Amino acid sequence: MSITLRRVSKRFGAFTAIADVDLEVPTGALLALLGPSGCGKTTLLRIIAGLETPDSGQVLIDGRDATAWAVRDRKVGFVFQHYALFRHMSVFENVAFGLKVKPRRERPAAAAIAKQVRSLLELVQLDWAGARYPAQLSGGQRQRVALARALAVDPQLLLLDEPFGALDTQVRHELRRWLRRLHDELHFTSIFVTHDQQEAIELADTIVVLNHGRIEQSGVPGEVYDLPRSAFVHRFLGQVNEVPVSRRDGRVYLGPMDVSATAAAASGGDIALIRPHEIEISRDAGGWSATVLAVRVIGPIVRLELRAAGRPANEPLEVEISRERYALERFGSGETVSLRLRRWQLYPTQAGDVAQATEA
Amino acid sequence: MKLRGGRFALISVALLFLGLFLVLPLIVVFSEALSKGMGAYVAAVSDPLALAAVRLTLLVAAITVPLNMIFGVAAAWAIAKFEFRGKSALVTLIDLPFAVSPVIAGLVFILLFGSNGWFGAFLQAHGIHIVFAVPGIVLATIFVTFPLVARELIPVMQSQGKDDEETALSLGANGWQTFWRVTLPNIRWGLLYGVLLCNARAMGEFGAVSVVSGHVRGLTNTMPLQVEILYNEYNIAAAFSVASLLALLALLTLAAKSLLEWRAPELRHRAPQMRDLHRGVRK
Repeated sequence: MSITLRRVSKRFGAFTAIADVDLEVPTGALLALLGPSGCGKTTLLRIIAGLETPDSGQVLIDGRDATAWAVRDRKVGFVFQHYALFRHMSVFENVAFGLKVKPRRERPAAAAIAKQVRSLLELVQLDWAGARYPAQLSGGQRQRVALARALAVDPQLLLLDEPFGALDTQVRHELRRWLRRLHDELHFTSIFVTHDQQEAIELADTIVVLNHGRIEQSGVPGEVYDLPRSAFVHRFLGQVNEVPVSRRDGRVYLGPMDVSATAAAASGGDIALIRPHEIEISRDAGGWSATVLAVRVIGPIVRLELRAAGRPANEPLEVEISRERYALERFGSGETVSLRLRRWQLYPTQAGDVAQATEA
Repeated sequence: MKLRGGRFALISVALLFLGLFLVLPLIVVFSEALSKGMGAYVAAVSDPLALAAVRLTLLVAAITVPLNMIFGVAAAWAIAKFEFRGKSALVTLIDLPFAVSPVIAGLVFILLFGSNGWFGAFLQAHGIHIVFAVPGIVLATIFVTFPLVARELIPVMQSQGKDDEETALSLGANGWQTFWRVTLPNIRWGLLYGVLLCNARAMGEFGAVSVVSGHVRGLTNTMPLQVEILYNEYNIAAAFSVASLLALLALLTLAAKSLLEWRAPELRHRAPQMRDLHRGVRK
């Protein structure tokens, strides 16, 4: 099932939740709506589901205008952040719900319903839990029941609102991989909402980054991560170091380095965003001199905090290197090293940033 | 040691209060009722006027409770699950009977439907009796009891949110199926509690009913009114006999509630760890 949104807007009182959003979700896509809380991502999901009516704009399902369609006519499976399992029903009854409420002529016989529910419970690896009640299951298990229940009515589109938000890291990782497999096997279209960039990058084919009810950027995860179109996207999709550039006598400086010759310098931006792994660290002379403040080993990577020459003490740069590299070099706290920037991007400072800078 | 002393004190205070204000009065009601022997008790409660009062009280409750149930669910649903203009006014209005004295509630109906009231002439012309008749008693009882179900359900429905209903809709259920299969089971304990409160108040209401009833013996006397009349006639044992019936009805509703709770499957499933523990011990 393909979804098209045309100039969709939604306000709640004075608050603009969605502003003029255009979106194309092709059949079979696994798309992530990514953004901070309040960016409108859940509202957008609810508009697609039919749980919210847009103030203006159109929702097209398979090319047909579905803006006025009722929720139950959209063939959409919706999974809520807190699962919304029917607590007075057993797991079996929960999954069977969508089949049992069908109009009489479409409703399968009781035996057929039982068979289908059993196979769905097998699919989510909960065939042993049919007689249990939601209160007796763990968070991950509840989430899988919610998915099985949504899949029971054979939806063409699966919508998931922060599907893994309430789970611990380990379970979350497992469920993501499982959902990815399920999506690939069953060939439905999926849209999920998340504020976790890691999750979006790991799971989705397409990421749509939202901010203040507008789409900032959309594309395949690698592209959005590597080529962010705005400082907001750059910041939201991972750790960044922020270094203001200075312009003197027609030259552009980033720290002590003259970067006037680079293409980025011509863009006229005045703040450079650099990811921690894009900074080269060495003991050679000639780079941007810096003092190591702290070293932290985080699994396969090592994160160093450094005070670069000319930078305020309370704004250390973060650099990430591999564990192997660190084993060879052993940079120690207090040591003076030299930095080179492998990659960086310039953005114009926004009004908000200026305000922040003066506050600090 | 100190903590154990504190616990003992707390439990004692609670028990003392319960004994003094709940158990003792109950004992007094029954002992006074039986003070002239079982024969007198049976005679008092099988008196035609007493039986008429019982019938009227049950009739009023049987009309009032279902109506308030429907109104309570509808009002709570509207308030908890929808946003609309005038919502806070509605919430305030629902509380009105709590704020107004029942006597005033009764007087309002006299002013509206009494022979000198707004609709008095019209009603008289068509031979419709509301005040000093059963319809007036029902109206006054409804007025006094209508916040009880709604007030019980609003917080329950608000805390449950709309997720369950929206899930049901997305799974293809229609509005009616959603209500019967999802909403009603979710609110049934709150609803039951509200209905019990409503029932107790409907059977026990004195003030509002007293104003509109007219105290016609055997016709418009409910049990509380009958108790008062007997008491004023210094027929203490008979008064307490009818009162004991009222108390018995209250105890019955409590027993019914406990039985329903005991039989509810999800309450038994609420603490699986404990159950598993017990099972383990038994093995």
